[in-house]
Amino acid sequence: MFKIHRLLSERSRSVTVSGLALILFLIFHLSGNLLIYKGPEAFNAYAHFLESLGTIKYIARIGLIGLFLTHMFFTVLVVKENIKARGKRYDVSKPVGKRSLATRLMPMSGTFILVYLIVHLLDYTLADHHTVASVMNGENLGLYGLVLNSFQTPWRVIFYVLAMGAIGMHLVHAIQSVCQTFGFNHPVYSKHIKRASVFIGVLIAVGFASIPLFINVVASCSTAASCAL
Amino acid sequence: MSQKINLKLKVWRQKNTSSSGNFETYKVTTDTDASFLEMLDVVNEELIVSGKEPIAFDHDCREGICGMCGAVVNGQPHGPQRKTTLCQLHMRKFKDGDSIVLEPFRARAMPVVKDLVVDRSAFDRVVQAGGYVSVKTGGVPDANAIAISKENSDLAMDAAQCIGCSACVAACPNASAMLFVSAKVSHLALLPQGQPERHSRAKQMVMQMDKEGFGNCSNEYECEAACPKGISVSNIARMNRDYLKAGLS
Repeated sequence: MFKIHRLLSERSRSVTVSGLALILFLIFHLSGNLLIYKGPEAFNAYAHFLESLGTIKYIARIGLIGLFLTHMFFTVLVVKENIKARGKRYDVSKPVGKRSLATRLMPMSGTFILVYLIVHLLDYTLADHHTVASVMNGENLGLYGLVLNSFQTPWRVIFYVLAMGAIGMHLVHAIQSVCQTFGFNHPVYSKHIKRASVFIGVLIAVGFASIPLFINVVASCSTAASCAL
Repeated sequence: MSQKINLKLKVWRQKNTSSSGNFETYKVTTDTDASFLEMLDVVNEELIVSGKEPIAFDHDCREGICGMCGAVVNGQPHGPQRKTTLCQLHMRKFKDGDSIVLEPFRARAMPVVKDLVVDRSAFDRVVQAGGYVSVKTGGVPDANAIAISKENSDLAMDAAQCIGCSACVAACPNASAMLFVSAKVSHLALLPQGQPERHSRAKQMVMQMDKEGFGNCSNEYECEAACPKGISVSNIARMNRDYLKAGLS
């Protein structure tokens, strides 16, 4: 039987499981985003498909919000416990040497991702896809137009690329951490898992970041008309 | 060749568990052949001569095998030399004129008793919760009567090297005791005698660890790096497996 106190006693594992589900969501999200390289028809068709799912879309959205909230709630709980567990802090603290940069920056990258997430939802998910902001070359190109137009602003590109860096960093620590938490540690394969963790983190970050960069730098356009990918 | 070096010590002084404590500074001239604890002995002799309270620190065998000694030296448990307990750290690791900050291992579950001495009885209670094998004692069994693979025997002995010094807790950014508990779980889980209680043992010891107020593991592996016995974090993964299986069964 499901018991709330049982779940609460599984704090670390709740962070891990929700995090793992969010990684799967990221892969799904990225595969959809990459359709932008195929052009407005493919990308907008994909967006319309998601919109047309109706009830399923709302279930998925509620599920995602639930995952994010679970991930954040248990992280806050765990961090509070960890601070309490130390008690008085050390006057001098020098890592013995195994904490990678990605590991040390987990709290910072996590907080940055949260800020980014809010901006990102307001930018695209919750925005109207059929306003003047979507118009390119006199034609309303829906979400495709909105994305291409919005990434003409350099600060937005910088913010998005930095956020993708944070996501990549977060994943570099997270993926190998998931394996350890679920008991997978092997004298041969653990080395490869750590490498794979870096590879997947970088791949996802580069995949996402390539879109604003490509739009702004490679397909840089003085007029919206020349902005076709 | 031994030589004399002058050091400045900044040592955490705390009268008892309930007092707040503060840092005191001392100057010491020590021989580079002295161990870290011998250097503290010299400081204490001088303090006693001048009518002051000596610095309290834990120690017993001074051979690196008992797990009693330990303090955080310049931010690192047991000091700058890897796989070495504080008693086996020698002053030749330091240079003339160095400053050394000496703090107790810090964790809420291991309160400071006095100065650098901490109460590690939480570890005892974790072991009492399941770190044993319930068998009828009787005559000495025949050697080699129970077959154990070389690999498992080696891994069990590696885990059994844990001396319970609590440097892992001190090094962990979260004051988690996972490395200690997993070593105690693993050295039994890897041997045939430990099998009947394998999963319940992991569960009970983890529950006790949480009850004591240790932090949560975030897989940063500082514990493994700080461990004077080089206990591997693969033991933590093994304990996680056993704990999960205990939940499933």
